[in-house]
Amino acid sequence: MIAAKIKDAITGLNANYISALDNKNMQDWLAAFSKTYEASYICTSADNSENDLPVSMMYDDSRNRLEDRATYITDIWAGTFQDYRTRHFTQLLSVADIGSGKFAAKTSFQVFFTPDETGVSEILAVGVYEDIIEFNPKDCSCLFVSRKAVTDTGVLPRYLVYPI
Amino acid sequence: MSDVTLDWPQEYNKVPKEAFTRHDIYKAELERIFYGPEWHPIAHAAEVPNKGDFKTTRLAEVPLIVTHSQDGDIRVFFNSCSHRGNQVETALRGNKTEFECPYHRWLFNTEGDLIGCPNAKEFSPGFEKKDYPLEQPRTELFMGVVFVTFSDKTCSLTEFLGELTSTFKDLLLGDGQLKLLGYQKVRYKSNWKSYNDNDGYHAPLLHKAFRMLNWQGGKGRQYNATIRGHLGFESALTVASGTKTLKDNSILEFKGSDPSKGSCIVGLFPTFVATKHLDVCNLRFANPDGPDHIEVHYAYFAHVDDDDEMVQHRVRQSSNLLGPSGLVSMEDASVFHRIHIGNHTPGNAVFQKGVHDTKSIPETMMQNDETGQLKRWEYYREVMGFQRKGA
Repeated sequence: MIAAKIKDAITGLNANYISALDNKNMQDWLAAFSKTYEASYICTSADNSENDLPVSMMYDDSRNRLEDRATYITDIWAGTFQDYRTRHFTQLLSVADIGSGKFAAKTSFQVFFTPDETGVSEILAVGVYEDIIEFNPKDCSCLFVSRKAVTDTGVLPRYLVYPI
Repeated sequence: MSDVTLDWPQEYNKVPKEAFTRHDIYKAELERIFYGPEWHPIAHAAEVPNKGDFKTTRLAEVPLIVTHSQDGDIRVFFNSCSHRGNQVETALRGNKTEFECPYHRWLFNTEGDLIGCPNAKEFSPGFEKKDYPLEQPRTELFMGVVFVTFSDKTCSLTEFLGELTSTFKDLLLGDGQLKLLGYQKVRYKSNWKSYNDNDGYHAPLLHKAFRMLNWQGGKGRQYNATIRGHLGFESALTVASGTKTLKDNSILEFKGSDPSKGSCIVGLFPTFVATKHLDVCNLRFANPDGPDHIEVHYAYFAHVDDDDEMVQHRVRQSSNLLGPSGLVSMEDASVFHRIHIGNHTPGNAVFQKGVHDTKSIPETMMQNDETGQLKRWEYYREVMGFQRKGA
């Protein structure tokens, strides 16, 4: 049985994460991840994931790579892409205690996108987050040690600028 | 043949924007190009490494199955039962000893032979199972790359590839002995011709990453191959020197053995693009879906002899560098969309960089010219039967 305070903290972390993306705030996105070197974010399709094909749409396997992801978006790509808003909807599905203060969680997601230039909203991707989360009992807060966004959507309807 | 017309400008460096947007032209392209006398890459043998492995795909609107048959050969079948035409296989990939059409339980082996059909005694006089295999389009392999054509008039694959063969071989890591690492799949809101019209001029200008990383292009060449104007690029690799922009530069490292041709691009008429850059080996299988969309399956590979460290390096680089969300390529995706929006306006798209004479196709070009596209456009114009003004 997972304590309610832990589920609440995980739900709160998800809310921070999706708010960061929906507000295009990459520093807040980074703040949802553990400060440890091993922190990682991967975005891939269920087809790749289920067939042990490691190539992903985004593959940031260290804290440095996560910070570089933010640099891509805010500095390197600035002014070249057609900007779009996202709106993420998530639901916590399961939490398991894996010891050492860490928890494995699954959260389903659906993400809509609305290009600035058309204003027409479409589905960007649906799928499930597979997370390893570190819980800090002192302030009942938690951070992602790893977040893997696995999309049912095998063919994305456009190129991704922002993580999912 | 459909009778579609389009006035083509007299100057060889102009392309009418209408060519990218008209539905009647797209229909004629299916007939004359996609189902016509051209070779189309649809898979690499490394995607189906074991006997019984298959993948389903399509060429334009035609559904196909690529199989590694039990006899060891790679075959391509139309994904349609030889009986009533029902789609035979629905899985994206798998491993099977037989394919069964569920409609009337007709059963085929992996060589495509019909091996079972219930109630055959009541079939038409003279019915024989040997007359009802799964149909196969003409298929040829180049270093594991599986090509199909639906026309019996298509030249040999060797002639189709022409002098591009050596660049393609380097791109396929020397011998085509590849291991599949995974896919990135995306749809672009773009005409297929815009997707395949990327030039040597734009790279240092559009892609800010090259400037921010102080990453200059190496010495190299761009060339056209065959009457179709296939495009080849070969460049030496250079090191990104101003790398303070990134905290982790390991995704820009080259761990391969020969940097002299460390960057290769192969662009085949009509839609295929493949690239090897640093340690990324990427085949992009692309299919048009109407005049306004193209779906691209970026398939990434390692070499079968790579050690674990090299495979992991390729996975990191493949995922982050040159795909639809790659560090130095995301802007291409953006341009595919934006150029298609712009192509709905009147007039012509104009090529300039490297054009010395508007009355002919240049035979040679510099690595950063945009004239590499012109021979292909001329071939396209001829295949489509579009008359040049004043001709």
